[in-house]
Amino acid sequence: MGRAPLFIASLLTVACAGVQADDGRLRDGTIAYVMTDLFWSVYQTADGSQECPRGFNDGPREQFEQLFPAHEFLSVEDTQLRQEIETWHPTTEPDEFEFLEVEGELSWGLDLDGEVGPNDFTHPDGSPGIDNEVYRAVGCIIGFRGPDGVEFIFQNKAILDRVYNRMMIELTGVDDLENDDAVTLTWYRGMDRLLTDATGLRVMPGGTQRVDRRWGESLIRQTRGKIVDSVFTSEPIDELVIPWMNLNVPSIQLFRDARLQLDLTGDGATGLLAGYADVDTWYYQLIRNDSTHHLSNGQISGISLYKALRRLADAHPDPETGENTAISTALDIKMTQVYIARQARNK
Amino acid sequence: MQRHTAKLKLAGAALAFAGIGSTVLAADGEFFTEAFRDIPTPPEFHVELTDLDGPVFADSAGKTLYKWPLHKLRNGYSGEPPGTPRCHDEVLTVTAGLMSPYPPGIKLPELDRRLSCVDLWPPVAASDDAEPVGKWTIVERDDGIRQWAFDEQPLYTSVRDERPGDVIGGTTRRYGGDSPAYRVPVGPPALLPPGFAVRSTSVGRMLTTDRNEAVYAYGGDTATTTNCHDACLENRSPVLAPALARAQGEWSLLERSPGIRQWVFRGRPLYTHDLDTGSWSQQGSDAAGWDNVFTQKAPAYPPEFTVQTTIAGEVLADSSGRTIYVYRCGEDSADQLACDHPQDTQVYRLAMCGGGSPERCGEHWPYVLAGADAKSINRSWRVLSIDPDTGRSAVEGEQGTLRVWSYRGRPVYLFGGDKQPGDVYGDGTGEWRGQRNGLKAFWLRDDFMDGIL
Repeated sequence: MGRAPLFIASLLTVACAGVQADDGRLRDGTIAYVMTDLFWSVYQTADGSQECPRGFNDGPREQFEQLFPAHEFLSVEDTQLRQEIETWHPTTEPDEFEFLEVEGELSWGLDLDGEVGPNDFTHPDGSPGIDNEVYRAVGCIIGFRGPDGVEFIFQNKAILDRVYNRMMIELTGVDDLENDDAVTLTWYRGMDRLLTDATGLRVMPGGTQRVDRRWGESLIRQTRGKIVDSVFTSEPIDELVIPWMNLNVPSIQLFRDARLQLDLTGDGATGLLAGYADVDTWYYQLIRNDSTHHLSNGQISGISLYKALRRLADAHPDPETGENTAISTALDIKMTQVYIARQARNK
Repeated sequence: MQRHTAKLKLAGAALAFAGIGSTVLAADGEFFTEAFRDIPTPPEFHVELTDLDGPVFADSAGKTLYKWPLHKLRNGYSGEPPGTPRCHDEVLTVTAGLMSPYPPGIKLPELDRRLSCVDLWPPVAASDDAEPVGKWTIVERDDGIRQWAFDEQPLYTSVRDERPGDVIGGTTRRYGGDSPAYRVPVGPPALLPPGFAVRSTSVGRMLTTDRNEAVYAYGGDTATTTNCHDACLENRSPVLAPALARAQGEWSLLERSPGIRQWVFRGRPLYTHDLDTGSWSQQGSDAAGWDNVFTQKAPAYPPEFTVQTTIAGEVLADSSGRTIYVYRCGEDSADQLACDHPQDTQVYRLAMCGGGSPERCGEHWPYVLAGADAKSINRSWRVLSIDPDTGRSAVEGEQGTLRVWSYRGRPVYLFGGDKQPGDVYGDGTGEWRGQRNGLKAFWLRDDFMDGIL
């Protein structure tokens, strides 16, 4: 179930364009879009009181002060390195701090398992069965909340700025951008900067991207999907890898059973990428890109968050231990139309 | 441009040099080929050719000279402002709090065996009758010692350097804002025409424009003819020389058409690649016949090593294709002492690789083992004996020691989380994305990371 405001905005855009979807960029049954925004979908009320009635979690700075009020009498091993060891060698053992999970009932996201369970959220439009346990874990951490959370700003910005993150989709076999019950979806990585307006800030449709076959061949995925009333819904992809470098560490996110739900126009696509995120990949993508300093600025305790992620993981149990290795999630995604140029391989 | 005429030493052997620019065979069989400018130099110093950092100044014993440039950290500066020695003969006992979020005043590890900055970085003392020469000046330290400076930066040697031409103590490689305040080898200016620069990288001393654009050469060209016209120039731009430019040494000129002259280096006309997406790029060398240009290539790595493709570029890997990592560490102390050498404290590394446990380190971050018959192959790639229980240097042959490969005197590692060739899941592990107490992959090709080579 996509985000209603985005959907309404798309409908308004369509209406302004003359009721029908603008399919002027649909050529030979093909249209492509490049990703410009991606971030963990967090349902927020104005003051957070609905979803986080007990407030927000402490981060590394606050935890350090509580753990070591007389740090000047202690050693690096007993303080700083102790915290870094806990960060880089995390465990599921409880720590000294209560972790504040989301307590509200509403969440953006999709019903991934086709069931309505006791831990599921309800979509703001009233639809039940929403699976989004990443939101339950990060929703009360200010670094993950818009518009000024440190992760909200910088991870999203990295999607726009870094060519390493230049993922795009191509829809082929499209007869009509409003309705088509048999469309092929292919994920590629592009290798070019984005076409922007004169400010350099707004990505414009009509740009060109070459497919990265030099380094990005392993990122290519394909599945089927359909378009109903200009909403594209894909079938799940077993393992979708999204390259996601924030601060110069070439890391990834790994999504199992990944699917898209996008409102399409000829100029762009907005909606959700949803699936089950591999917990360890999720965690190490965060802490490899962002040091304890960066996490501190968002009051993100990696130590406490890892325990929450493992506790809330809800899919793909390890065949040996039975512990879930993946956690349901949804990400807000925005894409802008591009033309894909195919070129010969180099030497 | 002026040809070098100063005294130069190769691996300790003094040579009178009438000009550098052609290939030189060093004592250990490596090829060094970087020319440099002759500048007035005090008699007690000379130039050593190193395999990673090009020509550097050295003292009479052949020890490389280093500076400690001022470096902005998160909560202040470290290093030395011009003319101001800050490396003292004092054993520091607490952290400086220069790197957020941890506060200052925490006790540093292993205080009973901790050394002072001067113990590790002896100042280069000037004799009583020494006098300034050109860029070489003399500063007076707080302890009364007169210390040589170059370009106003006080000079030191490193106790980690053992042989002439070693640059174990520091590097001229580019380092980021969250890295420690490194010590940097000091050398003479490269012998280049205006508009060019040389950058130390993991693959060699890369020739670029002064705007950090990589320059390339085409295999179909010669010093006096070019076969790159029309379509060949679609994405390439000849590096043009101004009207007053003259050929000298390794540099010559090719007149592509009347009045249009192109720079030629060692007989190869130079181009930039218009489609490069970043500085110090290697993208332009993907097309057949094209290569990056280096003043000297990086020293050979062990023959059993391989190069693997990842989703972010190429990495050095072991014989089974597993990515090789280097460990970097600098303390949060006022003197920013290194903690990444096997003779430094191992407290930080053991914390990061195994939560303090040497056994867990061996599982998570095993050493790259050298075979029983493996031998050091150059100054950069050497076989070390390591005590795996302490992580410190050991006497070769002692029971329980490991023979491991090292780069710049520091062991290299594999990551237990990498399962197949091309995996780089360990890159950026540790404090400050692996820059201060952590591990970075040994990158050989970077198309995405802003020139991290």
